Amino acid sequence: MMTDTDITSPVMDGMGPHGTKVGLLRVLGPAHVWALGVGIVLVGEYMGWNFAVGKGGAYAALIACWFAGILYTCVAMIDSEVTSTVAAAGGQYTQAKHIVGPLMAFNVGLYLVFAYTMLEAANAITAGYLFSVVATMTGHTGDLDQRPFIILVIMFLAWLNYRGVLATLTFNLVITAIAFVAILVLFLSTSGILGGGLMEHAALFEGHELPYGWIGVLAAMHFGLWYYLGIEGTTQAAEEVRSPARALPFGTLAGIMTLLIAATLTWYICSGVLPWEYLGDGVNGSVAPLFDTARLSGSNGLVWLLGFGTLFATLASANGCINDASRAWFAMGRDKYLPGWFGAVHPKYRTPYRSIVFLVPIALIFALGAPLDQVITFSILSGLLEYTFMPLNIIMFRKKWPLNSIKRGYEHPFHPLPALTLLTLCGITFFAVFLGYGTQLVAMIGFYIVVSLWFHFWRYRFVNRGTQFTMPWPKPQGY
Amino acid sequence: MAHYEPPKQSKASQLIDVVVLVVLTVGALFVPLWMGMAGAAKTVAEAVASPTWEALGQTPAQAAKYEALGYTPESAHDLILARFDYSFSVGALVAMVVVILLYYFLILRFSDVEYREVIAEKFGQK
Amino acid sequence: MDLWNWLEYLAWALSALFGLYMIMDWLKTDSSYSEDVLTSSREGELEAMTEEHKG
Repeated sequence: MMTDTDITSPVMDGMGPHGTKVGLLRVLGPAHVWALGVGIVLVGEYMGWNFAVGKGGAYAALIACWFAGILYTCVAMIDSEVTSTVAAAGGQYTQAKHIVGPLMAFNVGLYLVFAYTMLEAANAITAGYLFSVVATMTGHTGDLDQRPFIILVIMFLAWLNYRGVLATLTFNLVITAIAFVAILVLFLSTSGILGGGLMEHAALFEGHELPYGWIGVLAAMHFGLWYYLGIEGTTQAAEEVRSPARALPFGTLAGIMTLLIAATLTWYICSGVLPWEYLGDGVNGSVAPLFDTARLSGSNGLVWLLGFGTLFATLASANGCINDASRAWFAMGRDKYLPGWFGAVHPKYRTPYRSIVFLVPIALIFALGAPLDQVITFSILSGLLEYTFMPLNIIMFRKKWPLNSIKRGYEHPFHPLPALTLLTLCGITFFAVFLGYGTQLVAMIGFYIVVSLWFHFWRYRFVNRGTQFTMPWPKPQGY
Repeated sequence: MAHYEPPKQSKASQLIDVVVLVVLTVGALFVPLWMGMAGAAKTVAEAVASPTWEALGQTPAQAAKYEALGYTPESAHDLILARFDYSFSVGALVAMVVVILLYYFLILRFSDVEYREVIAEKFGQK
Repeated sequence: MDLWNWLEYLAWALSALFGLYMIMDWLKTDSSYSEDVLTSSREGELEAMTEEHKG
């Protein structure tokens, strides 16, 4: 039976509130969705991906880049299908609640909040570092105190988010576009397409093709995710876009294509100019590889362009993270998965203001108190757990509601191939994380087991049973 | 299926729940750090006594890049020679696989119990 | 004291300003609206609307 509800219909756009007296505002278009997705991720090309080079050499990083690209293409396809049907703030959390069950949803909600809040902290740390580099370059003597700049980045972006989603994501659109164009300009001016080329891939790789052999390629998958981590965050905007069923798939798929281009270009540019041992060490060597490449180009214009590109990319990412983490936290509060107090919307700015304010000190704890690679690993692990959930999600979705039972805004092809591919790649990445950060992996999963028990035996009593299922779908098959 | 009416949660109880979550979160990140069990450090297996670019395994083209970046063979020594150690024990690998499978089994099992209750209340019994 | 020392102070001051703004506005909002209005947002508004239109 096909239900009469069709959220893909154009007359469904821009609906006002119903029982809701104060709800989130539907003001965003597809470009904002693109800016949210790409904005969060693009910083990964400016810093962090190069740890993959250190894990296995330049070729390993390229292989990881493409395999992670396949992983994320599966993520984007699966996510687009489900979210074009489950269009609500909370994204994957709301999907899990309708498709797998409440405890899974609680876990997914926490993955989201952690992945984004940790990424936000990592961005603020990087921005603080950038300020200190610029200070040294402009003749400041002594060490710059990075803390006020780290705090300022988080405070300013939280304030922007607090004041309204349209300004927040329009700001993101502008700075993300600049950061993306900066990569294109650097590619055009160093690859030999415009003027003299700097690329010396063959000479730089000689003797260092695969320094760790094939296990290095596996290990590189850990940081291969960093090229794309966060693209799935587009779904958090579902309650604020004007036509979710069309804008979300479009923005997400356009986003992953942008990133595949940006990631490959970034690898090409940096590995052709920087020796792999330097490039692969993101702590003592190349913290910001695109910026370092620009410095070696000898062009002052490029140095400034990529310097601003790096700063803008970190700001765009932290900005999107605040947006996404607060939406997920808010959605869980609204359902009483977390204290209902968090489910409040600001009557004037129409943002989940309590969630935004609450997550500020959490981000500050991690930005000021933990080392960068630990913060990144925590973020990657939460992301990885989330991607492992997605194939389970889509397989159950197709089983409980086959294609002819509800209308989808987008149907992804070749099911269940993408789901199985995604599951396999997640398994490989778990192994890669195990090679370097096994203790954290076990600590993290131990944490999720403890909070799961806490939720099941204590917290879930405050949740309404039937009414949390809000989609106008028929009864799932097999129940 | 009888309609389930959740109890109203007091302000104090809401606050306690938040504190519990925050403590668990911060603990999960910082406990491995404090115990010094976190991270994968690179180490230099065999130091080179008086390093030259050649002794560090660098071709002239590669050495030129290091010099452009402001390195000398001495200052680049650790950067170039440090390597990760990818050896691992099968026992640890099996332990990790078991923990991950156990985790997913646990949440899928509990989720299913809760989900059946939701569907029963929303759509009525079969 | 060079330019960057001043910028450090400026960053501290601006951070405090943004933080204060959010806290003040939060307290003001919480005291001038009832909790029922603030937490009235429900998931699935879009879907609820269509069902209502079908009447």
